[in-house]
Amino acid sequence: MVNWGNLISQMFNGLVLGMLLALISSGLTIIYGTLGVLNLAHGAMFMLGGYAGWLAFTYTHSFIAAVVVGSLFVMIVGIVMERVIIRSFYDRPHEDQILVTFGIGIVFVEAVRFAFGSLSKIVPPPEMLNGIVNLGFMFYPKYRLALLVIVAVALLVLYIVLYRTKLGMIVRAGIEDAGMVDALGINVHKVFMLVFGIGAMAAGFAGIVNAPVVAVSPDAGESILVQTFVVVVIGGVGSFPGAILGGLIAGEIISITSMFNPGYAYVMLFAAMTLVLVLRPYGLLGTAGRD
Amino acid sequence: MLTKRPFVIEALTALGLLAAPFLLPYLGFAPATINRILVWGLFGLGFDILFGYTGLLSFGQSAFFGTGGMVAAYLLTIAGFPHVVTAIVIGMIAAAIIGYLVGLIALRRTGIYFAMITVAISEVFYFVEFNPLSDFTGGENGLPGVPPPSFNLGFMKLDFNTDLSMYFFLAFWYFLGVVLALRIVRSPVGLVLSAIRDNPLRAQAVGHDIQRYKLTAFVVAAAYAGFAGGLLGVMQGFMPPDAFMFDTSGQLVMQTAIGGPGTLFGPLVGALIWLYLQDFLQGVLHLGSTWKLALGIVFVVLVVFLKRGVIGGIVDLVQLARGGKKAHEAPESDPNAVAEPETSPSLAAAVVPRSPVTTSDKPVIEARQISKRYGGLLANSNIDFLVKEGELRGVIGPNGAGKSTFFKMLTCEVQPTAGQILFNGRDITGQTVTQACQLGLTKSYQINQLFTRLTVRENVVISALAKLRGPFRMDMLRAVESVPGLSERVDQALALVRLTERADAPVAELAYGEKRRLEIGLALASDPRLLLLDEPLAGMSPSERVETVKLLKSIREGRTMIVIDHDMDAIFELAEKITVLSEGKVLVEGTPEEIKNDPVVQEAYLGGVHE
Amino acid sequence: MSLLEVKGLNSYYGDSHILFDVALEVQPHEVVALLGRNGAGKSTTFKSLMGMVKPRSGSIKFDGHELVGRAPHEIAQVGLQLVPEERRIFGSLDVEENIILAGLSAKNKWSLDRIYDLFPRLGQRKRSSGTALSGGEQQMLAIARALVRDPKMILLDEPFEGLAPVIVKDLMTACRKLAADGLTIVLVEQNLAATLALASRAYIVNNGHIVHEGKTADIKADPGVLHRYLGV
Repeated sequence: MVNWGNLISQMFNGLVLGMLLALISSGLTIIYGTLGVLNLAHGAMFMLGGYAGWLAFTYTHSFIAAVVVGSLFVMIVGIVMERVIIRSFYDRPHEDQILVTFGIGIVFVEAVRFAFGSLSKIVPPPEMLNGIVNLGFMFYPKYRLALLVIVAVALLVLYIVLYRTKLGMIVRAGIEDAGMVDALGINVHKVFMLVFGIGAMAAGFAGIVNAPVVAVSPDAGESILVQTFVVVVIGGVGSFPGAILGGLIAGEIISITSMFNPGYAYVMLFAAMTLVLVLRPYGLLGTAGRD
Repeated sequence: MLTKRPFVIEALTALGLLAAPFLLPYLGFAPATINRILVWGLFGLGFDILFGYTGLLSFGQSAFFGTGGMVAAYLLTIAGFPHVVTAIVIGMIAAAIIGYLVGLIALRRTGIYFAMITVAISEVFYFVEFNPLSDFTGGENGLPGVPPPSFNLGFMKLDFNTDLSMYFFLAFWYFLGVVLALRIVRSPVGLVLSAIRDNPLRAQAVGHDIQRYKLTAFVVAAAYAGFAGGLLGVMQGFMPPDAFMFDTSGQLVMQTAIGGPGTLFGPLVGALIWLYLQDFLQGVLHLGSTWKLALGIVFVVLVVFLKRGVIGGIVDLVQLARGGKKAHEAPESDPNAVAEPETSPSLAAAVVPRSPVTTSDKPVIEARQISKRYGGLLANSNIDFLVKEGELRGVIGPNGAGKSTFFKMLTCEVQPTAGQILFNGRDITGQTVTQACQLGLTKSYQINQLFTRLTVRENVVISALAKLRGPFRMDMLRAVESVPGLSERVDQALALVRLTERADAPVAELAYGEKRRLEIGLALASDPRLLLLDEPLAGMSPSERVETVKLLKSIREGRTMIVIDHDMDAIFELAEKITVLSEGKVLVEGTPEEIKNDPVVQEAYLGGVHE
Repeated sequence: MSLLEVKGLNSYYGDSHILFDVALEVQPHEVVALLGRNGAGKSTTFKSLMGMVKPRSGSIKFDGHELVGRAPHEIAQVGLQLVPEERRIFGSLDVEENIILAGLSAKNKWSLDRIYDLFPRLGQRKRSSGTALSGGEQQMLAIARALVRDPKMILLDEPFEGLAPVIVKDLMTACRKLAADGLTIVLVEQNLAATLALASRAYIVNNGHIVHEGKTADIKADPGVLHRYLGV
């Protein structure tokens, strides 16, 4: 028998996870859309955000500081990574780009393990968001509810940056035709660097705000990366709305399946991905273009 | 590249395998490490066929490695099945079947999508192994107690329970794996796989069903992975669950990239370096778990600086030591050398390879009222077009007239929005470009579409193979050279485009004009009934143009051809009838003389707005 | 002093040699045409000037700056602007966003009003997405994107290609107005009548070589030249 209270609370969990995946996937997809590089270190960015935030928290005991430091640190890592390594890979085959970002991801993970060990680190939620809240029809952890709002706001900010600012205009134009943007007097290399930074920051931000829910560990990024890939395949590569739709679908599938048997969560996720690949090979909101 | 001499590599491999257990310990390799290197090397043989030869970078190989290993280990432990080798073979078959099913899904897309899908696959299998199937796989405990192989020969019993005896057991299978892999990459299938890696679109256009070839490579890689997985359990006496982990796939990818993809031995070399460093950093330098950080850095540095891994780097060094690249620049497009062979008897024979076709009234291709619409843009509208057997037709028109769209419709690269195309009286509307080529309709491209990492000869062979073997055949164990009729056809095509002397040069070393000729040679090698040439003179210097026009005249004998080009002097010289397209329609058709003096054509070219 | 001076320019696509020692000179406020058949190397000349194709040798002096080896965005900053043949409108941006984007990095820019004065059609369609425009509107937008940067010289590559005669007339009027205001224009166009009407001087390009240079009036008067290099 289905326990309805349980189901609703799992659906809420799915929503939270889905929004989080949407945010991380948006980061991955705008990097791919603009620069044409699939960043396999994206999961590591998520993990780095958690660690940088945790470090900041242990020194300041301020959750806000943790979030700010976690996000900014990962943004800088992204910018440096683009500048030093990725830039020389734009002219190389996709396979080389995949290999190098995969290697960079491993270096990040192992460097963190080296510095902080394999044990997971806990970042507590802010005092006022501790405990659970009675929503009338169910009890739910306060912080998870807050997380829903935090991530929704982050997605909104990302949306505004992409669709309502000059930078966003450049990014959207750059996704279409970077060469023409360059010919109109805008240094696309700088834009690429910034896009990489913003995309990485989306993952890093997700990594730190998720830390009170799931403690951070060096391997935290790996399963996130896999889920992000499924999200992007379902939603369509390079599509921001696709990342959000795909994220929500994936989040719900994982949560609801986990209620019955967590072992099947990935099977169902994979089944959904297969279905999309058969019915709409370019993803639900993707267009035939880059491959 | 692999040498042509038979069995040299096989013999060297055998020698190396025999010597390794006695030499490597002096370099600090533990016997158990040497055995693991072999398992990874065998695992990698299949992966290299998939990645190095076919260009498909999969992060999902752990799924097949784990499947093969778990099936074999389950049979040998829980099920109590006694025959070790049979169990491993059954595991391999299971992995191959899983590979086939997964390949059907993953190969729906290419490039980064393929990589992402395979990452997801490996994770799915990991979770399935861990949870729903834990009764069979032991979940996170794995399956302990896998027996070592032992054969009762009647008069004596062969047990493989020491490191060294196990080494020879593994080395035997590795050797068999190498022999088989060498056969595969030297077979027609292997060559087509390389063609897919270099230029999938052209591989398709010369008539190969690349989807089925890719699936073949995927299954072969899965089978190798499955077998290696079985060996892993037998070697350790324990089938670990982490065989299924994404890390396993990642390690395989990294080892292959470090060793050098596309060499078959790259994964072995990579495993050697990887496992040695692991032992060294952990055991000698006591770096604990930091070894992976160090290896990660080594890997990134290698990918950044050595594009083709250690083996590739060594090959480059050797070439450098031999005094740089051999003088391969073409004798700077010497028009004399080109004109001359026309008198040579072999070429004279080659010029008339087909049954003598004379211009007849039989239509070869006929387009009836074809149109093509892209969104709001009508690129072609209601074109009627007919070319008869033996004719050489020119197609010209100002920029934006819709010439290339028209050509693409004729070769079935794009489907017309409306209308019908008949080839030899048969309706080919809606066919794929592969099917069209198999029917005898081929195009040479405006921008060279060559298999850039192969030699001139291999390029032509790939095209000829499609004609001789059909769109798909699984002759994985036959040598390319033994395909009947192949060498004659290839020699003919090479002679026709005057590249006989350059047959063994890699495409990357050709001069531009030579590449253009090879482009035409690729189309000729499939012996088309109708040859379409899309701007054969594009990008050529004036002297190269003269040469190429001569070449086109020489191959014209006995063929039906349609030529698009901007060089109108050339078209007027070549074609006996010209179709002028303008604004997506047929403007006029006529002899060169008629076209030259037609005011309507002048108008189309020089503009309509008079003041 | 000439605004543009090109000497010994050689360009390649991959290993295919397209331009052979091209030399050009354009004075301020001139309207110059490049004539030649399809595939002669006109577009490649433009792309080389704009830095979108990297010339292997030669020199391009523009307003005192050497352009060879410069990135397109640097070239745009010194006041040269290409209006590409394919127009390359950003379909995910609307008309006004296309124009604003183009003007972002310009030192002096035209006001939107001035743009819409010149091309009233664009003013009416400023909220339409780039993909929803007709060919003529796309061409106007492509030119507008160049003009908003207040360039010293624009390179128009086949501006009238595939457009209805009415639209061509409109565009020609706009071009005349721009020229009268002192903008230097270099033009590649198949429509010979329109080209000869707009330009005062022309170069003829054949197989990547400059084969003829002269006043358009003289070219018109000497059908032999036209027939030799362009005629059919």
